[in-house]
Amino acid sequence: MILQGLSAVLQPMTILLVAIGVAVGIIFGAIPGLTATMAIVMFLPVTYSMTSAQGISMLMALYIGGISGGLISAILLNIPGTPSSVATCFDGKPMANKGEAGKALGTGVVFSFIGTVIGIGLLMVLAPVLCDFALKFQAYEYCALAVFSLSMVIALTGRDMPKGLISAVIGALLATVGLAPVDSKPRFTFGTYQLNNGFALLVLLIGLFAISEVMAYAESVRKNQGYTIETNYKIRGAGFSIKEGLAQTKNAIVSALIGVGIGILPGIGGGVSCMIAYTVSKNTSKHRELYGTGIMDGVVASETANNATIGGAMIPLLSLGIPGDAATAMLLGGLQIHNVAPGPLIYQKSGEVVYAIFFAMVLSAIFMLIFMLFGMRFFVSVLKIPKNFLLPVIVVLCGIGAIGNANNLFDTYSMVAFGLMSYLLIKSKIPTVPMILGFILGPTFETNLRRVSQLASSDPFYRHPIFCVLIVATVLVVIFSTRANLKDARRAQEEELAEMEKMKAAGSDGE
Amino acid sequence: MKKFFALLLAVVMVLSLTACGGSGKTETAPAAETAPAAETAQASGTAETAEAEAWKPTKTINIYMTHGAGGDTDYMGRKLAEALEKVLGVSVVVTNVTGSNGATCMQQYKDGDTDGYTLIATNTAALTGNEATGMVDFGYTAFEPVAVYGMQSGENIVVPANSPYNTLDDLIEASKANPGTIRYGISTGGGVYIQACVLTNIGGAQFNIVDVGDGAARLNALLGDSVDATSLPYSTAAQYIEAGQLKSLCTCLSKAPDLLPDQRAASETIPELVIDTEYVVLAPKGTPANIVKALNDAILEATSTEEWKQMVNDYCLQNPFVLNVEDTIANLKEQRDLFQSFVPFL
Repeated sequence: MILQGLSAVLQPMTILLVAIGVAVGIIFGAIPGLTATMAIVMFLPVTYSMTSAQGISMLMALYIGGISGGLISAILLNIPGTPSSVATCFDGKPMANKGEAGKALGTGVVFSFIGTVIGIGLLMVLAPVLCDFALKFQAYEYCALAVFSLSMVIALTGRDMPKGLISAVIGALLATVGLAPVDSKPRFTFGTYQLNNGFALLVLLIGLFAISEVMAYAESVRKNQGYTIETNYKIRGAGFSIKEGLAQTKNAIVSALIGVGIGILPGIGGGVSCMIAYTVSKNTSKHRELYGTGIMDGVVASETANNATIGGAMIPLLSLGIPGDAATAMLLGGLQIHNVAPGPLIYQKSGEVVYAIFFAMVLSAIFMLIFMLFGMRFFVSVLKIPKNFLLPVIVVLCGIGAIGNANNLFDTYSMVAFGLMSYLLIKSKIPTVPMILGFILGPTFETNLRRVSQLASSDPFYRHPIFCVLIVATVLVVIFSTRANLKDARRAQEEELAEMEKMKAAGSDGE
Repeated sequence: MKKFFALLLAVVMVLSLTACGGSGKTETAPAAETAPAAETAQASGTAETAEAEAWKPTKTINIYMTHGAGGDTDYMGRKLAEALEKVLGVSVVVTNVTGSNGATCMQQYKDGDTDGYTLIATNTAALTGNEATGMVDFGYTAFEPVAVYGMQSGENIVVPANSPYNTLDDLIEASKANPGTIRYGISTGGGVYIQACVLTNIGGAQFNIVDVGDGAARLNALLGDSVDATSLPYSTAAQYIEAGQLKSLCTCLSKAPDLLPDQRAASETIPELVIDTEYVVLAPKGTPANIVKALNDAILEATSTEEWKQMVNDYCLQNPFVLNVEDTIANLKEQRDLFQSFVPFL
């Protein structure tokens, strides 16, 4: 069966389709506004006429390429290509600003590969065990998990906690637009059916990161820029030394486990896993103050986690037939169309297809590594294009992406509106990243809270140990992060005061 | 560098094609005027039928699909488009406009171009269900129905295999004996919700009805012992039934699927509990009758092949089920009347 699976993937045609899939996926991932999900949506109908191994291999290639490609624009342009690479911006862009774009890209690519491989490994070995674990997550557990993940916002925002919370709350409020979960009552729709669907994550993401980035740049376009653009990026190998890579081992393993863990739980996805891995990595690091200034650790955490999420998300998909996010929901459809029914009997009934999927994933990961390492010098040269030319193209692509989301022009208007909002928020120094977390987790919390309230009469909370553990963990995270943040803030204030006094002293000396 | 731009350009071009498809929401004002004109043409007698039957498409037909890629409605729509291309000799392009169980797409295209090149593909549970639950204020009469072209493998009421209930009667009786203790998982607003309302209000069941979410989520909840019974699409439940983890109490179709004749139907217990989800093609209101007829003929022809039968047998576990225009309208009316009779307790 394993050999059958291997031989199904090692056909020239299948290898070619995987290569194409990875390349297209990377492009979709790299362009802000186009996502892995969209690549799969566009190519799913194309696979209807292929053999099951070919079709499914290509879809896997698109998925892996799409999630990996997001790091390119995150690092080079500070615009995450997909929701999964939001946290890659935090340290990726500062690295690029320091002239280490090549190193940042290399780190991202290599650790994306490592994350993917760890994810696939766990998928192959531990799928049945992890499935039982995933089934324990029902309404109660999700409710607590959402609260726990939201508490990470506090750790994520650092010193400016109130502003981070404002942002997260705005995100959660935006998510309430449209038909309410559970009872489908329209909320904040102002009578237009267009708002019934609410806002898509993709549309919010482009508005927040791409449009506002362009507007911020437009401000400075006529100013004489203080720095010269480094055009001569030397990239040797992967851009970082083996020693530097090995120093990240613990960080990568922890992040990969977080990625897989979040991947297994349906409905959370890569957008959250990269941010949680980043936060955990930052809070457990010995040099947490350096995060955000452009260090490898941040890129490693984010990129390892989001790619490990792929393997994680495949576990419930294959073993239970339960998709974790929009992309895996498409894959489920793709499998069913090829008469592969994911579920408990998949190994017995379609074993060769399952192994074909594993090998296709490994092959895709290898192609991804090769394409992106070789492509790096081309990607970096994007920075040589004057932004006056580059950014308008990106805005157009974003517009297309927003329309392509549901073939609806209305989404483009929303995108522009979110761009304006984001610009104003940035002007008032409110970070926009917590908004994404609020937007994703708010509905998870609300939906499951309402379900819990329906269940509570016959199923009290103390029968759910995971729920209790998560709530206690949340309280601890809130207390410790708040204390750490306050300490940081005080130290920063003291430093500022000391600085001012020094300057004063220097000033009076001069007179 | 050049390569990168070439790639960018290629992607832009590919996408702009899709985008053009999406922005096909053109001026709709003339629709109202053509509608009476079409009726008079029809009324003015059979003299024109020779000319009318000669309608043949000469350019690309756009089918707007109400549900996303990967689902059964999309798959059937795309298979139909493929078959129609062979019969009509023009391209038939399927574009997914998703959201609100199909309501977004139907709202957007119900007053679309009436020249026969704009069609909507959906399923009847969405069409009549959204009207019954009040999500939209229009039903099939807001369109010119073209054809019902298939029957789903249906939804089944399922329980874990070790559950003491073997029939729908057992389940309902048990819920009456201990009201509020049997947790029944639904997703509010859809067909499963309507089903649960019928079970409660007509069947007299006294479940603790809890919202769980879509089919996959209901499966998850049933396996995770978060609910005691729920309703699942047969295609989702099949493998678990075979593996001996779940058992099906009954199907909610009016009769068991052609290829699975042994199943009991829910209507044996509660006559009103019939949810026959069919795949249907609609044209915007005011599309002339001769065009609708020509399209229906094409669909009948496209689905009469052995290949189509094989596909439907494999995918839906049903035999082909394709209706002409009159039967399509009669079928939709019947289903709407049934669903409307549930409105008081939805």
